Amino acid sequence: MNRPAPQPPAGDAEQPKQLYLPDFCAARAVLAIVIICELTALVLALARNEAALGFWPDLARTSMFLLWISLCGAGLLCVLRGYLNRQSLPKGSMLVLALTAAMVALISSIAYYFGGRAGWLEGGALIPDDHWTFLVRNIVITLIVTALALRYFYVTHEWRKNVELQAKARVYALQARIRPHFLFNSMNTIASLTRSNPARAEEAVLDLAELFRANLNEKRNQITLAEEIDVARTYQRMEQLRLGERLRVEWKVDTLPKDAWVPGLTLQPLLENAIYHGVEPRPEGGTVTVTGEFNKGMITIVVRNPVPLANLTVRDGNRLALANIKERMELMYGESSTVKSGRFDEEYIVTLRFPFTSGEGARLK
Amino acid sequence: MNLRVLIVDDESPARERLRSMLVETDGFEVAGEADTGQRALALCDTLKPDIVLLDVRMPGIDGLEVARHLATHPEPPAVIFTTAFDEYALEAFESEAVAYLLKPIRAEKLRAALAKAGRLTRAQLQQMASAARESIRRTHIGVRGRDGLKLIPVEEVFCFHADQKYTTVKHQKGEDLIEDSLKTLEDEYSTDFVRIHRNALVNTRFLERIARDATGQHFVHLRGFPDALEVSRRMAGDLKDRFRI
Repeated sequence: MNRPAPQPPAGDAEQPKQLYLPDFCAARAVLAIVIICELTALVLALARNEAALGFWPDLARTSMFLLWISLCGAGLLCVLRGYLNRQSLPKGSMLVLALTAAMVALISSIAYYFGGRAGWLEGGALIPDDHWTFLVRNIVITLIVTALALRYFYVTHEWRKNVELQAKARVYALQARIRPHFLFNSMNTIASLTRSNPARAEEAVLDLAELFRANLNEKRNQITLAEEIDVARTYQRMEQLRLGERLRVEWKVDTLPKDAWVPGLTLQPLLENAIYHGVEPRPEGGTVTVTGEFNKGMITIVVRNPVPLANLTVRDGNRLALANIKERMELMYGESSTVKSGRFDEEYIVTLRFPFTSGEGARLK
Repeated sequence: MNLRVLIVDDESPARERLRSMLVETDGFEVAGEADTGQRALALCDTLKPDIVLLDVRMPGIDGLEVARHLATHPEPPAVIFTTAFDEYALEAFESEAVAYLLKPIRAEKLRAALAKAGRLTRAQLQQMASAARESIRRTHIGVRGRDGLKLIPVEEVFCFHADQKYTTVKHQKGEDLIEDSLKTLEDEYSTDFVRIHRNALVNTRFLERIARDATGQHFVHLRGFPDALEVSRRMAGDLKDRFRI
């Protein structure tokens, strides 16, 4: 049974679409603006093909004029970003367009005034017409280019958000997986105990409910180590009913700080793997050892299980669980966590190492 | 007379449940219980049950392989597979068993399967056994000796050698006589064993080299095996090309 993946918490997906402006004070966005602006200058210069002035001087003047406009515009949008990003998509877009148009009108007027005094009007290249035609042309061009740029920012933002959502959804889907074998075998155990030992059957139902609750838990991606160890022990109890004396688990975790935050379902899947691969396939069973160490702010948890005998059916599929744990550890601790696994002689060993964080410190992340 | 049922499952609660359901079913009785494939095979030899309720997923010799070994009995019992999750796609083994039941098993489904098993004729049982012999590949070779069934892991087998009547399996712990013919072994292990002569089948994982003596006769040498094995002229070229030895 793979239950359908729970939907990740619906963030902005369900709210009305909002305007998105990048941070225009950041170098990346400024570079994007400069490039857009130079490309526009190039298009204008190419289209004009000014014979009297020559191509390069024309391009240079147009660039300078456009850079003034665009960098002033970037500055303005940078200041107003917080306000604008809270507006709905149509209203925000209209505001941005109106702002840039007003700014272009202002800069054009200044350019017209100073340009006239500097004698650029005679050349006719940059400012060929009278004041009003000049203003209207500039504003229309600006509106078109700004609208295109807004559309570009919006689309790339949507795309990035989408990629992130997909990645999250994948994590949730992986998290939600419980081995179908475990479920049905547990049900079978409970069906059997219902007749022979109703009290134990009740315990088993409660344990199973607890495990499923932990598995279905989406909101608390961070839980305390104590809670996680509890879930793993519940899992062990469930398997113990089924496997009896064949399953032995040694816990050496007393020195671990129990209030440390961990992503949910990190230890339990490791125990599950260890039992599934290391104990179940062996007729004589085996011992799983869980060792915890706390040293210089780093927590190390090691899970060991005997390696199945070579001539028995090899079961695969634990890489998925390990990759999932690794991914979630990285999401929570970044580069400072490591997940290692490998076979050493007669044992398969998985080592988790991550920094100790608790309380507010962890919640801020 | 009641039909006798052997319960095979590695989990004790699962056996317990089947037992209590069987006790409540008229016309059937529990012959015994086994918690591993090996014990199941041994008990089948001594108890000779009519029906075996066989868990598919067990450590060591799994249920499918137990069924395959049972299929070599002169009077094979009826096999009913049980499993918690259909990971083996058990429909593929429909003709090898009476039924397969998904755990937790419903009492009425168990009864229906048992009733069906009870109605089977000897011919039908033989047919199922031969289907099992064809489709299930064993990981162990069964040797029936005075002290019961001995199981030899296939990867420890150097070669099978056929005489007039018997087949000898030569393995890392010695050699034994088995009832399987070279032909059926060749079909069963076509991926791991290669025929080097009319009377010999060798494990390719032990292949070391081919040598030729003064008369032009080819011999194959196996890693860890003292004797050189005769290769027929027809197979020699083939063998060299296939394994570059």
